[in-house]
Amino acid sequence: MSKRLPREYLHPAMRKIGLPLSGKALIELMQAVHAKGLPFRFSAGGYSMTPFIRDGDVITVSPLALHAPRRGDVVAFIHPKTNRLCLHRVLSVHGGSFFIQGDNMPERPDGVIPREAILGRVTGLERAGRRVRLGLGPERLLLAILSRCGGMALTRRYAGWLYAYFSRSHGSCEKH
Amino acid sequence: MKKIRMDMIFSHSGDVVSREIDGALIIVPLTSGVGDMEDDLFSMNESGTEIWNMLDGKKTLQEIVEALAQQYQAKPGEIEQDVVGIVAELLKRRMLVEATAA
Repeated sequence: MSKRLPREYLHPAMRKIGLPLSGKALIELMQAVHAKGLPFRFSAGGYSMTPFIRDGDVITVSPLALHAPRRGDVVAFIHPKTNRLCLHRVLSVHGGSFFIQGDNMPERPDGVIPREAILGRVTGLERAGRRVRLGLGPERLLLAILSRCGGMALTRRYAGWLYAYFSRSHGSCEKH
Repeated sequence: MKKIRMDMIFSHSGDVVSREIDGALIIVPLTSGVGDMEDDLFSMNESGTEIWNMLDGKKTLQEIVEALAQQYQAKPGEIEQDVVGIVAELLKRRMLVEATAA
């Protein structure tokens, strides 16, 4: 058996890496951070949750721990068909599975997603350096019901007004 | 900072998470108890990754140097100097902790 030749030596180097990370990297790192019981923060891309989550918003996903997702929660999950990371809303709970859909995708629900595919719950949202709560607070239940019965078009139409109203009257938007 | 000796043993700090993804090591510092992708993330080249993987709380730096010397063609003393250098940088960034031998 021939002896393996030594490889050329390059000095070890550590460098900062830039974003964006691939979806696969995000999923693996999120799982690793959640395994330590800690939340995971990253920039979301896409428009499937507009107007409540917008392209470029910074999202915090917390591990589920012992608490299963509830109706109205926005969850991070691995889509069983595409294996991509998605952040969509739970519209209904069916035992150990969840019917999930993007707020802006009424015509294309994700369908029933098993608990094992769910990585965590969205617990924080920042937009342009400000913390946003609209869409993640108690109103999330109403949003799930509206979404289920096709009323999200109306919500999307008045989202700007709702956002302004909550920002002014209830302090749902605060400087982070 | 404490002088780094070759009989010392180090392990990854609990304040970092690391994963090899598609052949590249990614190290995430857990700043303020959050895995924050908006913060600085780090990667290492091949030899750096090997050193990182051998900083497992079991091997002394001397053992790591010897293992690398068998794999790579390098000038005498070069690997030792590099291992000490990268360990110093990792310690400075609080990515390593000194472990006691079992």
